[in-house]
Amino acid sequence: MAKKKNKAVLRPWCWYCEREFEDEKVLMQHQKAKHFKCSMCPRRLNTAGGLAVHIQQVHKLEPDQLPRIENALPGRDGYEVEIFGMEGIPAPDVADYKRRKEIELGLAIGSISQPPSKKPKIENRPLTEDELKAQLEAHKALMGASEKSAVPAPDASASSVVYNAAPTTYATPPVPAVPPVPPGMGMSPPPGMSPPPSGLPPFFPGAPPGYPGAPFMPPPPGMPGFPPGMPPPGFSPPPGFAMPPPGMMPPGAPPFPGGARPPFPPPPAFVPQGFSPPQPGAMSPPRIPAPAAVAPGAPGVLNMPFGGSPAPPPPQSASPPASAHPIAAAPMELKLPNPALAQTNPAFKKATQLKYADPNFSPDEKRAVHPKYRYIADGAADGQNENAQHEEARGKKRARAEDFL
Amino acid sequence: MSFFNTAASTAPAAPAEKDIEVAEPPTDSISSLSFSPQADYLAVGSWDNNVRVYEVGANGQTQGKAMYSHQGPVLGVCWNKDGTKILSGGADNAARMFDVQTGQTTQVAAHDAPVKAVRWIETPQGGILVTGSWDKTVKYWDLRSSQPIGSVNLPERCYSLDVAYPLMVVGTAERHLCIFNLNNPMTPHKTMQSPLKWQTRVVSCFPSNNGFAVGSVEGRVAIQYIDDKDAANNFSFKCHRRDATPNSKDQSLVYAVNDITFHPVHGTFSTCGSDGTINFWDKDARTRLKTFESSPGPITATTFNRNGSIFAYAVSYDWSKGHSGMTPGHPNKIMLHACKEDEVKKRAVKGR
Repeated sequence: MAKKKNKAVLRPWCWYCEREFEDEKVLMQHQKAKHFKCSMCPRRLNTAGGLAVHIQQVHKLEPDQLPRIENALPGRDGYEVEIFGMEGIPAPDVADYKRRKEIELGLAIGSISQPPSKKPKIENRPLTEDELKAQLEAHKALMGASEKSAVPAPDASASSVVYNAAPTTYATPPVPAVPPVPPGMGMSPPPGMSPPPSGLPPFFPGAPPGYPGAPFMPPPPGMPGFPPGMPPPGFSPPPGFAMPPPGMMPPGAPPFPGGARPPFPPPPAFVPQGFSPPQPGAMSPPRIPAPAAVAPGAPGVLNMPFGGSPAPPPPQSASPPASAHPIAAAPMELKLPNPALAQTNPAFKKATQLKYADPNFSPDEKRAVHPKYRYIADGAADGQNENAQHEEARGKKRARAEDFL
Repeated sequence: MSFFNTAASTAPAAPAEKDIEVAEPPTDSISSLSFSPQADYLAVGSWDNNVRVYEVGANGQTQGKAMYSHQGPVLGVCWNKDGTKILSGGADNAARMFDVQTGQTTQVAAHDAPVKAVRWIETPQGGILVTGSWDKTVKYWDLRSSQPIGSVNLPERCYSLDVAYPLMVVGTAERHLCIFNLNNPMTPHKTMQSPLKWQTRVVSCFPSNNGFAVGSVEGRVAIQYIDDKDAANNFSFKCHRRDATPNSKDQSLVYAVNDITFHPVHGTFSTCGSDGTINFWDKDARTRLKTFESSPGPITATTFNRNGSIFAYAVSYDWSKGHSGMTPGHPNKIMLHACKEDEVKKRAVKGR
């Protein structure tokens, strides 16, 4: 018993330098590396005696020429004492060390060396009914708590599934990666104003309950343009997340109301260095999503590659101009160019929790299509990236957009 | 299995408070870091669309010097050889050049998809910009023309790219690795599957340009030599793992290796992970040289300065848990660590 107690209080220590270690294994590694290392070759020995023999035999040094043991306290650098981990430490040194430790730790003299023999007895009687009940309650509470805390985990994995719901893809050149922004759309009425609040809930199934309390508030910037039913549970932001403080958002005048981004560069989302305090709020005005009322048109627009057959006119909703707005419809899911080549992770040999388990997309790719970060090309035909076509296509697009009006 | 000697005695944990935090960090996650090859200027690319430039003083104090923006998140940043231009690639499908002297920004490259990586190649004939994109191409640009001087198709989306002239290595989706000899930049010298079985996260060339390191999402790094005669020296090792419960020693929580950077002088290297830890390693002695104290968030990018005396690392969210991991109070900062000689110097190779 006494010995065990000692171990709990005194950690293994090195006689040569009086350093403490987690366990004896580490201590031995330390001794090999620091004290029993031959200074003439990379060889490491297990004990001082071993080192002495090695130096004499390999490096042909006489016993009286042996170098002192390295990194040792004065007086402890000799070969006379055979130390191996905690074994072989001279008894007086052990006692001395314990005494000093006691003083250092503020313990009563003798508490380590002679631990109190009186120990609290462990009661070995059967538990009473009440005690059993209390323990069960405690256990339940514990399990309940851990269940709750485990909930976010599946969310995390859910958000890492591949979203290949719609056929558009960012990587296939002929299909424009991102449906273009018709010019002038940025001038559409401020989103927060037009949509009737009643239009909100259906399109934000993931929105936290109780959230759409303020009718003037635009949807949380993190969530624009989710096609109905799209938001995986993991995507529902915690209430208040990335939400501009109401004061930050004069409902009538966000700088670029209609779009996630201004169609043309001039004021890019440029945050001056010093301007950081209201981070999410500061960043959000330019990427205020199109109003929820746009969503009805979304599925149709979503699947329509630019220049393809026109989508059926979206149901007339509260804000018609916005309904033709492709920003809300921009593809936000990743799709493999060639699904046949989809990768799968190999199985693990032992139980392993891979923190990022999607074999097909990098976290950066997923992040880049998230509404908060998605880049909306400042014009049409970004697939081609040629200015002439660019202009022309934009003209067409404008015409088409006007058709919807 | 562990090739590296991970004994605690060889890897003392350093107190994190010694590292200096960069003032006025970006407002969103940091995607890339790059030191000027001429002075202690640090360029920082961020998901808030901006590239910021900080001057690092002798005592590690920092001062914001310049900022310019992309129209989408910035994914990669680098400097040209003489430190007068900063080049950055972004999710706006463009690479932009910032002239440090005039403060002018110009678009110098265009792709059909976000530009994930940019590197400056200093050839004997002059400097060239190389961009790697998710549109499955690598393009070379001479900065004067809006058309690339060359474009190479990759088997998949470019995830990472690194250059140690004349070696260039491109890591792509689906675990392809394309190795280029830049004396013949238009065709890959060799295309191979990654030695690691999980998604490639980062590739980084040895400064000695005879090989490279690959990091995967499965907490593992492979050291790979180009020449077949060195193939015996290829190896991989596990890192950036944690025990599911303390002291269980199962190392079953496996994090992605987010960045690998080589020390410009000693050829040792750093790895950083989604677990918030950073390690310094010596690939020749196969030893871990240093362990940093765990940071409060994933480490997304790391870099050494030109002489390897400063090590910069970014603590910010890496999207490893998707949107739900993006909590409002998530740390977002750049730290500077003053490298001590014995943390980065190669160890004597033992037993061989």
